[in-house]
Amino acid sequence: MRLRYFGQLQEATGKKEEVLTDSFESLGNLRDFLLKRYPKLNHVHFKMAQNNKIDIDSSPLKGNLIDLLPPFSGG
Amino acid sequence: MIMETRYQRHIQLSEIGPNGQEKIKKAKVLVIGAGGLGCPALQYLTAAGVGTLGIMDPDHISISNLQRQIIFNENDLGKNKVLRAKKYLKTLNPDVKVLTFPFALTHENAEQYISVFDIIIDGTDNFYTRYLISDSCILLNKVMVYGALYKFEGQVSVFNYNKGPSYRCLFPYPPHVGEIPNCSEVGVLGVVPGIIGVYQATEAIKVILGLGEVLSGKLLCVNLLSHQNTLLDFEKNQKEIDQIKKQGKAIPIENQDCFVDFELSLFQLSSEEKIKWIDVREDYELPRISHLNPLSSSVSLDLLLSSKQKIIAFCQTGTRSRAFVKKMKNKGVGNCFSLIEGAAELNEWVKKNMNYNGTKI
Repeated sequence: MRLRYFGQLQEATGKKEEVLTDSFESLGNLRDFLLKRYPKLNHVHFKMAQNNKIDIDSSPLKGNLIDLLPPFSGG
Repeated sequence: MIMETRYQRHIQLSEIGPNGQEKIKKAKVLVIGAGGLGCPALQYLTAAGVGTLGIMDPDHISISNLQRQIIFNENDLGKNKVLRAKKYLKTLNPDVKVLTFPFALTHENAEQYISVFDIIIDGTDNFYTRYLISDSCILLNKVMVYGALYKFEGQVSVFNYNKGPSYRCLFPYPPHVGEIPNCSEVGVLGVVPGIIGVYQATEAIKVILGLGEVLSGKLLCVNLLSHQNTLLDFEKNQKEIDQIKKQGKAIPIENQDCFVDFELSLFQLSSEEKIKWIDVREDYELPRISHLNPLSSSVSLDLLLSSKQKIIAFCQTGTRSRAFVKKMKNKGVGNCFSLIEGAAELNEWVKKNMNYNGTKI
């Protein structure tokens, strides 16, 4: 699956996007995996979308495109 | 006839026509924040002939604004944003009625100002005001056109449109203090708010006209470096909306990052409120406002830090009190504001409003 990082998540992970071959039951499991892999993500609040739809952590992971989105503040 | 000529290119569109232009004329739009997002949104809404435009912002124009806040110029430095914006917009289109609110949106005044408009454009740069706008729009059933940015990216969406989702459906919980940097800490490419603000004006006009697909239940993510624009769907979270409705008022968030609200106006005050006044002028400056028993600017910092009452500083024009309050804020004094008006107006207000004994320390 392809992961895309938005906004300051790019700085927290050092990546704009990446491809993961691991499989996860739910979006929440993917989140836990990423928080361990990129500890800086623990300091940022973010939502996840699969296949262009924002979804909750308890949803089964079935998408092949995952977007990770923090809220933006600037105006 | 003049109106028809001015809006000819709108009227020529079968999707707008004279009836659509009349709808634009009847619309009332409030732009909160006359900054990077607000400036371009205001320009296009004025050019489009939106009948009534409100502008709310407590700030003054500084040189670092000019990189992206394109309706201001060097002659405007130090001047009130809202008043300068009005002047500019009136030369662009005198038909538009421009209402100016040179102060911040607060939990006390939100209902009063938001209730008189149809559409609210969120051009703020902080979460505190954004959640306040969102909650108020839920309660007052107003459409909120959201825009926000980070470096080279932006987000756009429309909330509460035809009972659609709200900002809290997207981000129910505000970030913690310091988690998300605000725009005065982070750089931003000047054109990013230009593009996002124009998107906001576009969505407002579509809402007015009932045209096309409004970004309701959709978050548009724009990246100007990659041109990878992403449109994400999201659902309404009725629980979040009901929680606000049940409370019957906006729920303040803790995060006050970038919250630059340290000015307030006399018409935001109630005469019953207990206030600790500080007169930062010299002793010889008139009028003296002895009714309020003001403290002087040499007041001890400890006393201000321990004050449970709202502290308001004033001077002759609002300039010195602003500098004083900025200094106090930097020293950690929280509940401290600068009066926008000067001593003469304050004196009139005191005479009109009270049997006032000032504040006991």
